[in-house]
Amino acid sequence: MTATTVERPAPAPPTGGAPMIDRAEGWRRRGPLLPALIFTIIVTQIPFLLTLYYSLQSWNLVRPGSQSFVWFQNYVDVFADSQFRGVALNTVIMTLGSVLIAVVLGLLLALLLNRRFFGRGVVRTLLITPFLITPVAAALLWRTVLLDPTLGLVNFVLSPFGADGTEWISEYPLASVMAALVWQWTPFMMLLLLAGLQSQPTDQLEAARVDGASSWSIFRELTLPHLRRFIELGVVLGTIYLVNTFDTVYMMTQGGPGTASANLPFYIYQRAFLGFDIGQSAAMGVVVVVLTLIAASFALRLLFRTFSGEEEAA
Amino acid sequence: MAEVVFDQASRIYTPGATPAVDGLDLTVTDGELVVLVGPSGSGKSTALRMLAGLEPIDAGSVRIDGRDVVDVPSKDRDIAMVFQNYALYPSKTVAENMAFPLKMRGMDKEERGRRVRQAAELLGLTEYLDRKPKALSGGQRQRVAMGRAIVREPRVFLMDEPLSNLDAKMRVQTRSQIAELQNRLAVTTVYVTHDQVEAMTMGDRVAVLADGKLQQYATPSELYDRPINAFVAGFIGSPAMNLLELPRSSGGVTLGGVEIPLPRDVADAAGSRDRLTVGIRPEDWTLESTEADAGSVIKAVVDVVEELGSESYLYAHLADDTSTSIVVRGPGRVQVRFGDPIAVRPNSDALHVFDVETGARLP
Amino acid sequence: MAVTTSTPADARDTAGAGAEPTPRRRRGRGANVWLGVVAWIIGIAFFFPVLWMVLTSFKTEADAYTPTPKIIFEPTLEQYEGVFSSGIGPYLANSVGATVLSTLLVLLLAVPAAFALSLRPVKKTQDVLFFFISTKMLPVVAAIVPIYVVVNEIGALDNIWTLVVLYTGMNLPIAVWMMRSFFLEVPGELLEQASIDGAPLWRTLREIVLPIVSPGIFATALICVIFAWNEFFFAVNLTAANAGTVPVFLVGFITSEGLYWAQLSAAATLAALPVVIAGWVAQNKLVQGLSFGAVK
Repeated sequence: MTATTVERPAPAPPTGGAPMIDRAEGWRRRGPLLPALIFTIIVTQIPFLLTLYYSLQSWNLVRPGSQSFVWFQNYVDVFADSQFRGVALNTVIMTLGSVLIAVVLGLLLALLLNRRFFGRGVVRTLLITPFLITPVAAALLWRTVLLDPTLGLVNFVLSPFGADGTEWISEYPLASVMAALVWQWTPFMMLLLLAGLQSQPTDQLEAARVDGASSWSIFRELTLPHLRRFIELGVVLGTIYLVNTFDTVYMMTQGGPGTASANLPFYIYQRAFLGFDIGQSAAMGVVVVVLTLIAASFALRLLFRTFSGEEEAA
Repeated sequence: MAEVVFDQASRIYTPGATPAVDGLDLTVTDGELVVLVGPSGSGKSTALRMLAGLEPIDAGSVRIDGRDVVDVPSKDRDIAMVFQNYALYPSKTVAENMAFPLKMRGMDKEERGRRVRQAAELLGLTEYLDRKPKALSGGQRQRVAMGRAIVREPRVFLMDEPLSNLDAKMRVQTRSQIAELQNRLAVTTVYVTHDQVEAMTMGDRVAVLADGKLQQYATPSELYDRPINAFVAGFIGSPAMNLLELPRSSGGVTLGGVEIPLPRDVADAAGSRDRLTVGIRPEDWTLESTEADAGSVIKAVVDVVEELGSESYLYAHLADDTSTSIVVRGPGRVQVRFGDPIAVRPNSDALHVFDVETGARLP
Repeated sequence: MAVTTSTPADARDTAGAGAEPTPRRRRGRGANVWLGVVAWIIGIAFFFPVLWMVLTSFKTEADAYTPTPKIIFEPTLEQYEGVFSSGIGPYLANSVGATVLSTLLVLLLAVPAAFALSLRPVKKTQDVLFFFISTKMLPVVAAIVPIYVVVNEIGALDNIWTLVVLYTGMNLPIAVWMMRSFFLEVPGELLEQASIDGAPLWRTLREIVLPIVSPGIFATALICVIFAWNEFFFAVNLTAANAGTVPVFLVGFITSEGLYWAQLSAAATLAALPVVIAGWVAQNKLVQGLSFGAVK
């Protein structure tokens, strides 16, 4: 529809009945949106444009004065960089893996918490804590207290099973990071899905019970479809946040060994701050944005389709 | 106090499609309670909202006290509206809810308090003034909504199905309260409902709408006694009027093998039509003895008996035409049961005759 | 959409109460007890690392740094003393400042924006929402150099207002999304009635709509606080001694203190404490918020 008039075509009839929601009203309604919009544009697009600008240059801080325009050479280099590809793969695994595991775990926990049992509130409080802890602190916790080969709790607990002395961080870097991420994000998914479960109309469930459906059928046929929106939202939001994970990687493994557990943000950081290659790192950043945008727009259009359907029905 | 005029008013959502309200012509005189009634989708709510300023007027005009309100926003039209779901502000007390419109007009606290207390007394809400809506019953909330409208002392009251959310008993009670209140305050009121019983009991005049068009606008008794078309005939009255498509015979029409004579003027208006839609209200049948001879009574077999205490309604199908059903009003303690035969005869001066295609009344 | 507590299990219980024979009912309750046990086990397991961290913070270094974890020990506050004497104070203040200010700013901007976006769902709305979310797709890491350059140019390095602005930009998209879904919950009739009653838009917003969406505002604010307080990357790169926040302190602490686990634990506990308490206190609002926030 057009930008200004909100809902109707220009009136044709002789009395020229002016629409109740006319141009001025349209602007008045959009007005409150502007401060937030303008603020966001300034704060986010300027850096983005500058990043684009830098990505077109060959600029290494170690070699001052060598700044020059190389246009798309950086991008070519980026895609030719085998490490980049490996890191990209890491990112996909780390992100999707963590998100999916967190969603599944979150779902199980939500189902659990949806039942009444003694001290349910306390358990919920305990369960949401990981999400509230500073990622830096959490990463540290995992690295030292839990996963340290000699002094960590995990090895202590597993020592009867002969896992004594496993160097989690160096032998399973990606898994270690993912464990920390899942620990932190499961509560978020759990809360989201719990909210979804609680918003399900109970008379639906009662009717199904009366119709003789088993708990599993009810879950599969009624609850899961109802939760779909929530799951989708959790996946989209989780992905957006997790793709950008930096703190955890930085604190736990520094991306290592080598780049085994590096994800794209960390790799970019390495290039920019440790390698001082501004041009390349900027190019990588742009690539990440584009890829994320593409992936997310599919997901979000899907999400919106489900939403708008609901809105119109409501 | 004001006169409300709809002058060829229309609401067209998408050009080319059927209008939601199609050229409505309606005049509500000062102090009158007019009911807009019709099935869902008939445009009655839309028309009301056009008057309220919640829907734009795409064609024609709407005038309050002679003034065209097409460019006037809702708050300046000096109207008050009661919504079906009452639309009470949940975070405010009853008193605050009722005072809100006055506050918006900059009325001072004293005056506001006075008006609120007055209205509360009128509606029996005085002890609830400090409660919030969620602590009230449906009936009480409804009264608060009315109170909020009354304090405004507006020119026109608008009510959009205000009784729909009440249980049956509450509905009957509140119905008469509203009617009495309106009488006392003598404010022009436009009332929308889908319930024709409400319409008939409350309205000074009733406008029947269907598919966006006005069907008939008259007093309840006129609507009942002289419906202008088959739709109105079938809509007004409960149980609904029997509408039967019958073949012409020399003296009138035939039903169940019996000839029913038509009055002179009707027969003339009917002209050469070979089929007519004939309407007979349930109470316009006479129950005859089943022994009477075949030629003079119509035989039918009972399907359902509804006993209401003061009267009963018999739903039956014709003995020789099982696809045709009729409804007959019977006495309170009727002895008939499912499957029993009955014999009926229509009152020939209580017939309503309509053209089969157009539904228009003949004459 | 009330947050109900009745569940399929409960429905079964009550439905079965009169008609079903007793064994069935008992089985239902028994299942719940087992579930409770499982839930408690999982809850404690999840929480355990945090618990351990807190415990460790009260140990001496010797007690903390042992191959066999000690559960019985003599608690001491020396670690906390050490942390405070290392100057966590200003960092705490900065974190509070940056978090509170940015959250307020976010609410100030997001609430009207979300209101506008919920009034008339037009196709533009989807585009705007999508735009907001898309701003979160640029890895902050990639943009840090330009941001650094710009901030430096305007002389705002090591300045808490820089953080406030950046955190606001960071949280605004989510806030708008969440608040919008709360606004969508408000029945349209209330707005119509208010307009008939003669209330101008801003008045309607303030007196009628805001009280209804206040749990949503609360939940949104909480999410913003969590993300702002825990933010590390911007803080570590754009601040130094003056405007450093708690996560920065924590990391700096580590580099200099190396492997002193107990003191590390104390620092980490302090770093996490405010938000954890806030989250615990407000978790009901959070769940309530998420149930119609961020979802519709």
